[in-house]
Amino acid sequence: MATITVQSIINANTYQYIDNGEPKSGTAKNVYFSPDRKYVVAMFKDKQDFQQKERLKKITSDHLNRIKNAQGGDYYIEELYRWPTDVIELNGNIGVVVPIYKPAYFFKKGYANQDLIMGEEKNGKWFAGSKFRNKQFPLNLDQSELGNWLSYFQICINITRGVKKLHQMGLAHSDLSYNNVLIDPVSKSAVIIDLDGLVVPGIWPAEVIGTPDFIAPEVLATKHLNKTDPLRKLPSRLTDLHSLPCLVYMFLLYRHPLKGGKVHDLDTEKDDLLSMGAKALFIEHPTDKSNRPKLNQLSKWDTHWGDVNKLPYTITGPYLKELFDQAFIKGLHNPNERPPAEMWEQALLKTTDLMQPCLNPACDQKWYVFDNTNTPKCPFCGTKHQGTLPVLDLYYQFKPSVWKPENHRLMVYNNQYLFQWHVNRHITRSERLSTAEKKPVGYFTFHNNKWVFVNQTLKTMVDKTQNADVPIGSMVELTHGKQLLLSKEEGGRVVVVTMANQ
Amino acid sequence: MRRLPVYLLLDTSGGMFGEPIQALNNALSSLINALRSDPMALDTVWISIITFDRAAKEVIPLTELASFQLPEIACLQTGPRHTGQALELLINKVTKEVRKGSGTQKGDWKPLLFLFTKGAPADKLDFTKAVPLVKALQFGTIVSCAAGYIKDEELLKLLSDNVVHLDNADSHTIKQFFKWVSETIEHGNKSQGTGETVTLPPPPAEITVVT
Repeated sequence: MATITVQSIINANTYQYIDNGEPKSGTAKNVYFSPDRKYVVAMFKDKQDFQQKERLKKITSDHLNRIKNAQGGDYYIEELYRWPTDVIELNGNIGVVVPIYKPAYFFKKGYANQDLIMGEEKNGKWFAGSKFRNKQFPLNLDQSELGNWLSYFQICINITRGVKKLHQMGLAHSDLSYNNVLIDPVSKSAVIIDLDGLVVPGIWPAEVIGTPDFIAPEVLATKHLNKTDPLRKLPSRLTDLHSLPCLVYMFLLYRHPLKGGKVHDLDTEKDDLLSMGAKALFIEHPTDKSNRPKLNQLSKWDTHWGDVNKLPYTITGPYLKELFDQAFIKGLHNPNERPPAEMWEQALLKTTDLMQPCLNPACDQKWYVFDNTNTPKCPFCGTKHQGTLPVLDLYYQFKPSVWKPENHRLMVYNNQYLFQWHVNRHITRSERLSTAEKKPVGYFTFHNNKWVFVNQTLKTMVDKTQNADVPIGSMVELTHGKQLLLSKEEGGRVVVVTMANQ
Repeated sequence: MRRLPVYLLLDTSGGMFGEPIQALNNALSSLINALRSDPMALDTVWISIITFDRAAKEVIPLTELASFQLPEIACLQTGPRHTGQALELLINKVTKEVRKGSGTQKGDWKPLLFLFTKGAPADKLDFTKAVPLVKALQFGTIVSCAAGYIKDEELLKLLSDNVVHLDNADSHTIKQFFKWVSETIEHGNKSQGTGETVTLPPPPAEITVVT
């Protein structure tokens, strides 16, 4: 056991770490904790060349500062990334200094039946498959670790925002995978780690092609070519846009979007290369059904979530369905067609407006997306919704007296809130909103056998059907066909009420 | 579902008696625990243990990691080391257990073989006869580990390009070796370099790789 002091190669800062001879060992780095456990020093196992050093310097100085100084900078640095803060050198070896992960990212309990992984990192992989949530699996995760289905939407939103910001800065992550995110379904948070491999095409080429399961088809299909071959495809922003939906799909459906039953070659390696690369095919392709998972060939622990007929991807709702189609059908072999990160963020956010709590207290998922039918039920446990269900469709003013649909719907449940981003189309729901903008403007409640909306802060709300103002502090009943103008201000929306499950 | 079958062939001959077999049991249990803390390994790894002394014995048939119950590996006080017989049993098991791809079903990953021995095979003839048959089974990796001084190390090199040599069979070196085994098993799902070949992780500093 030795405490080692190391010096920054950028400035005069010094750092310390404890070498007990058994560092946490990753693919490229050995990780050591500082004595106060506030940061880690991750030493590269291999010698880094001049270009690598320059890349790391830039990531830990210029890029770090750009993010810090951006609007909402704290949110990115504190919540979304574990961004390396400095580069150090020891005996010719290079390392990076990275702030420690928050306590939420270590298992409090881990497995339900033993302590083996208690205190270990919550690598995304634990939550990206169905085995560990299957109570029959000998090493299943404790229920207290799993969160509910809504948790995973917030987790995907975090990851998506992290990727969006990198892309806005002209960077590509290049190795986005469940290994490079830590997630906590309990506090509904996610953080992107291992950011020292960032890629700027042309300036900092990719060092890795990615992690199996997440490598874009074109990268695998050209893997055999030399790095200097112009046809060789290496990780970039567009390959991140393949890895990202793979992650989203896996965190919401606990299976892989491309790993189906179709066999391309009798040789395992070749078959894998083809089925994830040149011949990749979405397992839920609507017309080409040749890659549907074969239930009798799945691990017995995975058959519940592996059944795409029982739990098709359409249970994630209409907005995500469209993006999955774009990513895994249209864009699978046409990288330019892949939806950008921001579209995923918006679709995920809008989908949370479609969610309903399941009435069955024993339901594992607890939440589900409204299935657009008149008699909604939870796709996970089959429990039918009881009682009427108000559905609010949002409209914007196209020109005086012409209102057009926003393709945005809000499902109402008891004690559901309404926010500014519903009221006014000029306010976009994002991490950049101020605290004031994140405050609810009113809420919905089931009161005396009626659905009502209670207006808390909307100054110019009007019940168009009754042609009456809805002043602050008053309530208005939601009835079938009712039209409510939420705000008279520029960008103010009208909602139209539909009563489902009558 | 593709499985990654891992075969462990362990020497239980007289040469292992005493500290070496204790250290081996200890290292095995660390190996299993390390793999059982790894979600990637739990997704694919299936393990089988075959021991060999004067006879070869399948201690555990190919079993999913999560359901795997590690027994205490016992060894004889004296007795020869019939490594060749172990290979014969291995050939038999691999042929039966490892799923080949077919037109309608995905096959398993290429199996991995780790042979841990304290010395050279006593049944040289059987051993040399079995080697080409083992090689024909197309293992993803074959690693032989020789602990302590071995007279006929050349024989082991027939079986695998990777012969790891431990200077002795104490608990530290054995543990280091099995840590490396676990890294080798876990290797598949990590980030892949842009280079063309997939390489084994470097062995720990304490042991020598004979090439």
